Amino acid sequence: MGLIGWARSSSPWILHFNTGACNACDIEVVAALTPRFDIERFGALKVGSPRHADVLVVTGPVTRESMPRLIRIYEQMPEPKLVIAVGACAISGGVFAGCYNVCGGACNVLPKVDVLVPGCPPKPEAIIDGLNKALEILRSSRGR
Amino acid sequence: MSLLDLLALFFFPGYAFLFLMAFFLEWVDRKTLARIQDRYGPLLVGPAGLLQPIADFIKLLSKEDIVPEGASRPVLTVAPILMMALPLTALFFIPMNGREALVSFEGDLIITLFVLIMMALLVFLTGWSSANTFAAEGAMRSALQMLSYEIPLALVAICPALVAGSLSISRIYASQAEVGLPFLAFAPPCGFLSFLIFLLCSLAELERVPFDAPEAETEIVAGWMTELTGRRLALIRLGRNFCFLLMASLMASLYLGDPVTYRIAWLAPLAFALKVLLCAMLMSFVRGIMARLRIDQTLKAFWTYITPVAVLTLLSTKIALTLL
Repeated sequence: MGLIGWARSSSPWILHFNTGACNACDIEVVAALTPRFDIERFGALKVGSPRHADVLVVTGPVTRESMPRLIRIYEQMPEPKLVIAVGACAISGGVFAGCYNVCGGACNVLPKVDVLVPGCPPKPEAIIDGLNKALEILRSSRGR
Repeated sequence: MSLLDLLALFFFPGYAFLFLMAFFLEWVDRKTLARIQDRYGPLLVGPAGLLQPIADFIKLLSKEDIVPEGASRPVLTVAPILMMALPLTALFFIPMNGREALVSFEGDLIITLFVLIMMALLVFLTGWSSANTFAAEGAMRSALQMLSYEIPLALVAICPALVAGSLSISRIYASQAEVGLPFLAFAPPCGFLSFLIFLLCSLAELERVPFDAPEAETEIVAGWMTELTGRRLALIRLGRNFCFLLMASLMASLYLGDPVTYRIAWLAPLAFALKVLLCAMLMSFVRGIMARLRIDQTLKAFWTYITPVAVLTLLSTKIALTLL
């Protein structure tokens, strides 16, 4: 683990994007940020701008409305970037898969989703575990 | 230039100390905020999360560098460098060792105030040349905010200078020890008021809660910083940490001089660092307990209440000095 790998895995700034979720997963993501679970312990900050983010947290099925926006936000993020799909809907579309207005999950739209956190909604512990699995990827990374 | 001067320039109270102190203050800020919100804050990166700001800095340096289409590349390159270098320059005027600054001359207080205005102008320039609506909006708000806090800030910064009879920050700090006034912040008639106004103006200058409308992440993404990535963002964050250190240490040196620690050689730097830390924690505390003001509310608050009070503070200080 080099210096850059250490720095990258120690400061994952997350951007949370709701692509059409029912808000259950969003509340669990927020719960992971608030006092009881507080992922700032690992150095994670919630940022507002995709330009500042390292990790994109997607919740909900990707609707036709939000699909171009999701792709645009993904493309605005600087490399190296990770994507975590939180919840059954973000993975495959969940119960909404096959709806006329749903393109499926983030996996169907984005070129690469690094970590899948299943659940409806997943617990904050599961989200933290997913974040740590994502950081494993960064830990082995070297400067480009 | 002797070896001792070089050591002072590069280690204490020079570059190494200032860099470490800037990172340390960011950690203190995040930790204080987290404790107020009943969280732990940075915990696992280094002992008690102490290395967190350094990890953030290195990570940002290693990220991809993006300049959006239509944005001005020269401005986005120069502005972050200046935003780091200017407050670093101003920090050399601060008596970090508790006695004498590395560079001190009659009028360095004015130059420090000038640096603060330059910072606001650079913020405006960065936001405007980012070619982004959110950044432009943040830049506009930042410029408006500058119009509101600059005048009271200058007015109250002159109050300690009047009492000390000097425009050099080191002299002001030293004169508080000589006069024997315990803390200028508690000096009659308006010491405390002046300190309070300086605190408010510092919060506005640093764009911290409650005056963080220029980078309100709930309405305008990240304000004027929206389009910054990688190295540019790293330098700007470091510059803002320097600015935080600058405002905290200005507060400590203009208002919190004391007659005891100034005379003891080994205690003076420690006491000064402690005062800076207290001022920084005070600003973090305000950040934890306040909500954001709208930009028009900020302007109104500064122009209708704070500026007149600042004028009165200056007048009463002058009158008190003439009568004594």
